[in-house]
Amino acid sequence: MYDFTYQKPSSIADAVKLLAEPEAKALAGGQTFIPVLKQRLNKPSTLVDLAGLGLAGIKAEGDKITIGAMTTHGAIAASPEIKKAIPGLSMMAGWIGDTQVRHCGTMGGSLANNDPSACYPAAVLALNATIVTDKRRIGADEYFQGMFTTALATDELITSIEFALPVEKSAYEKFRNPASRYAMVGVFVAKSAAGVRVAVTGASQNGVFRHTEMEQALSGNWSPDAIAHIKTPPGGLNSDIHGSAEYRAHLITVMAKRAVAAAS
Amino acid sequence: MDAIVGQPLDRVDGRLKVTGGARYAAEFPVPGVVHAVLVQSSVAAGEIVAIDTSAAEGMPGVLAVITPENAEKLQADKGGEQVVSRPTLQDMQVLYNGQHVAIVVADTLDRAQAAASALKLTYKQDEAVTTMDSALNTAYRPKHFRGGARSPDSNRGDADAAFDAAAVKVDATYRTPIEHHNPMEPHATIARWDGDRVTVWTATQGISGAQHTLATLFGIPPANVRVICPYVGGGFGCKGSTWPPATLTAMAARKVGRPVKLSLTRRQMFTSNGYRPRTVQKVKLAADAGGKLVAIRHDGMSQMSMPSLGEFAEPVGLATEMLYSCPNVAVTHRLVGVNAPLPTYMRAPGEASGVFALESAMDELAVALRIDPVELRLRNYADGDEHEDKPFSLKNLRECYRQGAEAFGWSQRNPAPRSMRDGRVLIGWGMATSTYPANRRPAEALVRLQADGSVVAGSGTQDLGTGTYTVMTQVIADELGVSPRRVRFVLGDSTLPPAPGSGGSTTVASVSPAVQAACAAARQKLFSLILADPQAAGLTSADLRLANGVVLAPARRFPLSQVLARAGLEYIEGRGKTEGPPGGHSLHSFGAQFAEVRVDPDLGEIRVSRYVGAFDAGRILNAKTGRSQLIGGITYGIGMALLEETATDAETGRYVNADLAEYLVPVHPDVPLIRTIFVAGEDPVLDPLGARGIGELPMVGVAPAIANAVYHATGVRVRDLPIRIEDVLG
Repeated sequence: MYDFTYQKPSSIADAVKLLAEPEAKALAGGQTFIPVLKQRLNKPSTLVDLAGLGLAGIKAEGDKITIGAMTTHGAIAASPEIKKAIPGLSMMAGWIGDTQVRHCGTMGGSLANNDPSACYPAAVLALNATIVTDKRRIGADEYFQGMFTTALATDELITSIEFALPVEKSAYEKFRNPASRYAMVGVFVAKSAAGVRVAVTGASQNGVFRHTEMEQALSGNWSPDAIAHIKTPPGGLNSDIHGSAEYRAHLITVMAKRAVAAAS
Repeated sequence: MDAIVGQPLDRVDGRLKVTGGARYAAEFPVPGVVHAVLVQSSVAAGEIVAIDTSAAEGMPGVLAVITPENAEKLQADKGGEQVVSRPTLQDMQVLYNGQHVAIVVADTLDRAQAAASALKLTYKQDEAVTTMDSALNTAYRPKHFRGGARSPDSNRGDADAAFDAAAVKVDATYRTPIEHHNPMEPHATIARWDGDRVTVWTATQGISGAQHTLATLFGIPPANVRVICPYVGGGFGCKGSTWPPATLTAMAARKVGRPVKLSLTRRQMFTSNGYRPRTVQKVKLAADAGGKLVAIRHDGMSQMSMPSLGEFAEPVGLATEMLYSCPNVAVTHRLVGVNAPLPTYMRAPGEASGVFALESAMDELAVALRIDPVELRLRNYADGDEHEDKPFSLKNLRECYRQGAEAFGWSQRNPAPRSMRDGRVLIGWGMATSTYPANRRPAEALVRLQADGSVVAGSGTQDLGTGTYTVMTQVIADELGVSPRRVRFVLGDSTLPPAPGSGGSTTVASVSPAVQAACAAARQKLFSLILADPQAAGLTSADLRLANGVVLAPARRFPLSQVLARAGLEYIEGRGKTEGPPGGHSLHSFGAQFAEVRVDPDLGEIRVSRYVGAFDAGRILNAKTGRSQLIGGITYGIGMALLEETATDAETGRYVNADLAEYLVPVHPDVPLIRTIFVAGEDPVLDPLGARGIGELPMVGVAPAIANAVYHATGVRVRDLPIRIEDVLG
């Protein structure tokens, strides 16, 4: 780790001001960022700890669930409201990393980082959630812009994520990297007011993406058989020592079928 | 009294280990110690043309920056056992990516690391050959195969002619990857000089080898080198030789005139102390219609470094020469040099890779012949060693097949691939034979009988975590009629009587006879003292028995304390020295491996779901540590079959997965309940206790048993390890 200045502001305004400094970085749950610092892959001038901003918490209202950006995966997995309204999201949160990661890592941190193998981007995209920042509201389709790239400005903070209700069906299936538990391929399927949406994470070099061919097939017939024949072209998919692009393409169909079956 | 040998005695060093009291090489509190960090080449081939040490030397706390330009000149080690023959830091040539090119010493580890990263090296880069498969046409004959003791090739009968004429044939090529040992304890050394004498605390499988190698390299008598290593956190072969990091630590300590510590990082463990080399093996088997083997040909190639680093040939064909009865057998070994570090022994060297090829081919032959795989092996059972033309000292392999098959339920197997299922999940059953030589080498030990009846004993051997402390304690307890609790066995110090390195499953068969001989010598001295006493008039040594610190005779007893007090002695010392194995017999252990796999047909995920291994390993000195060895070896084999592979970047010759996140080893969910069976039998030809080492045997044959099970489950024959999930998708 390189030396840096540590700040823990108590208001969003102060946090944003600190983040406007060159090379200032925000610290949420730190489950990605602290290992990055330890390996000296990043050299921030100031670390702005977001833990004092009061951004954690889950609020269920009639037509939406609002999840504060600093809410941990553990809290999301344990929430009875989320389990009832969006079981797929509950399942996803309970399946991230290990116990320690789930008790520190946050949804806002994960979404701001937009790791191409992270889980939440698939849920947010498939459920057409809204990313609420200190400045504006961003739709999921606009928010994700490629590997580690989002619509956020450098001094813009996610404050919460809104999921519109009702969600008729939702489920997530992932094939985990055996060491990191990151998604080699994760597929979130959802049927809600936004229609049928299928989001795939872990597979593409450009991060999370919607599988429109599967969405169309499932719109007419919500069953694993409806998508069994769909083959994803391996071009543009990740290929590494853990699995070839061809294998990941194969996994997309298998994971999608299993998710549809789980949500039936 | 019941024998203590054989009982499942808890490890005598167990409490120390779980409480953190066992001291490993890096943990010795040596006053004034300073820290070293290695610098490694970033190119695979070429020459260092410039070294700029100015920035590093000016940094705070830096004590020395040692490079080929200012390194002490070392004497080449031409001594027999060591694989590593080229001294380090002696010239500017770079032969692999990761070669040690400098060592930096500073007062703290952080400062040494910072200075190491400030060193600037300029290279003239040459064309590098980074992968074996791109250079198979350059294969050459090993020059010192098995230390020069035999030819790399062997022939009996005419394998090629018999193959051509045969009815049923298998002709296939099998490949195994580079694997790294990855013991829990990374290699570490602390060195301290006192004039021209050096003390080295180092993680090693052979204190004696380290003593002699360092003495040669630094041009001092072996007696001036003391090597201390009471505990080893796993070796598996990578601590079997004295590798450059240990040598460089001693060099650095001499240079700075203070004790120096060097501990390798996990990443450095991939470039600094060997690996199991990649192999490409062509196997041809031929049988008559009745399933009797008529020809075996095994042409093995293994990957080497550039030849000037030393020589290590993976002896993949040795088991092939003796495992089955067959009149026509040809075996060859060749090497393919690439710009890579020097390979070395890794658990079951030769057999682990070679038996994968042979036993996969045997399974293919069984399929071609439509004969049950166990039955095929029984039809080709070798009653004697047809290669050495000698009888086996003990061979209970038939019992291994029988007891293993029965425990596994083999008779319920439907031979057709894809025929056994649990819902959608495919089930496969496979088996393979295991074998490993039973080795023994000269060893010495000493034993002291003390006045209070307790015993202190020692030998310059090692405990790799396998249980040497415990089993030698048991041997002494039986020999001297004393509770194991009153025995203290010490090892891992070169001031003790010498013993061989712990590799090749040699320790039990080598050291236990020396310990027994030392006990006998001590007992004999004690009895002589008693018989010289007037109170013992009329007795002979045959009347005397030592138990719990008292020598018992008919109607008389002689407490040890009194005998020693009368003789004016603090203790009675016995020394034992024993030789290698007797000739005349072929010495091997055997086993039968049975695996069940479950394969998800959608994902290709392979799980080993049941496992039975039955082993013929002579007398087992401790049922608990012995069983642990079997479980550990089988687990190692599961890693070889399904997970382990070091990947090389062809462009740079660098290992890309040099960490435990991406070099996959088996973890708990990968390992099923393992049932182990020791087939009864003792091997008194090898050593008086009838015991054999079992470090390597249990991992031999695991990979082919699993590969054969995967074939049975899926119908897909995978000849290239590790078996990947992609391989079995239709």
